[in-house]
Amino acid sequence: MNLDKAKKVIKAAVDKAGEMKKPCSIAIVDKKGFLVALHRMDNALIPTVDIARDKAWTAATFKMPSSEIIKFGDPSIPGFGFNTQNWNDRLTVIPGGIPIKNGDDVIGAIGVSGGTPEEDVIVCEAAIMAAAGSH
Amino acid sequence: MESITLEMAEKMLEAAERWAALSGFPSSIAVVDEAGAVIAVHRMDGAGPMTTDISINKAFSAVYSGAPTLMLARMIDPRMAGPTLGSGGLGLLTQAKLRLMFIPGGNPIRDDEMNVIGGIGCSGVPAGVGEISDTTVVQAGYAAIYDEND
Repeated sequence: MNLDKAKKVIKAAVDKAGEMKKPCSIAIVDKKGFLVALHRMDNALIPTVDIARDKAWTAATFKMPSSEIIKFGDPSIPGFGFNTQNWNDRLTVIPGGIPIKNGDDVIGAIGVSGGTPEEDVIVCEAAIMAAAGSH
Repeated sequence: MESITLEMAEKMLEAAERWAALSGFPSSIAVVDEAGAVIAVHRMDGAGPMTTDISINKAFSAVYSGAPTLMLARMIDPRMAGPTLGSGGLGLLTQAKLRLMFIPGGNPIRDDEMNVIGGIGCSGVPAGVGEISDTTVVQAGYAAIYDEND
């Protein structure tokens, strides 16, 4: 993940969110979960900044969409309790964070916050698709 | 009072990044609005992970205090022990949920009536003051929007 690629993904996300008329925040992190770029669209709520970043961190470090973290709330599977541990105040189970892959490797993640969880996921997926097609 | 849009923030970041690249130090640059809330942050390739949060907090501190973070740095400077530390300067350290930065490199952005409309912060250039510093990077950044308005 580098800044150029992050900008491309963010631009695609901003376009999609603008189309849906949902001002939101978009965060891109590298594979270690460290922030690379973060944009808050005009009129997006202030808390969306940190929520978007948390979603991206969760997706990058767990290498799975943030919506899947909720499965650790099921006592019958290994890892029960992850979802409530929240060791660094960043873990979130809200949908809207998706890993960005290059082939099979996770190279980073995108987090979107601003609409409903479903809308956030749509923006994430559209951004990843658009950025993947652009190079 | 006008406010800073994402478009303006991107313009500032672009100018600041160009300056940082020229100085040879990849860094993080953050633009915040009048509430100190992030509008845009970029971490240039090669800049360390911690620079993002430092740049965000520098920009926030500039908005919160209404002054460049250089002034905050001066306020807790031990050489100023008489004038400011003694009269409570150290109390600043724990304010704003520990988000105040006392390192130069964050400046408030003001409109024509001198109202603070936002802030910009940079971290990654290894000097706070001088020709090649975080402060000149942020100055290059906000000069980009002033140019357009004049």
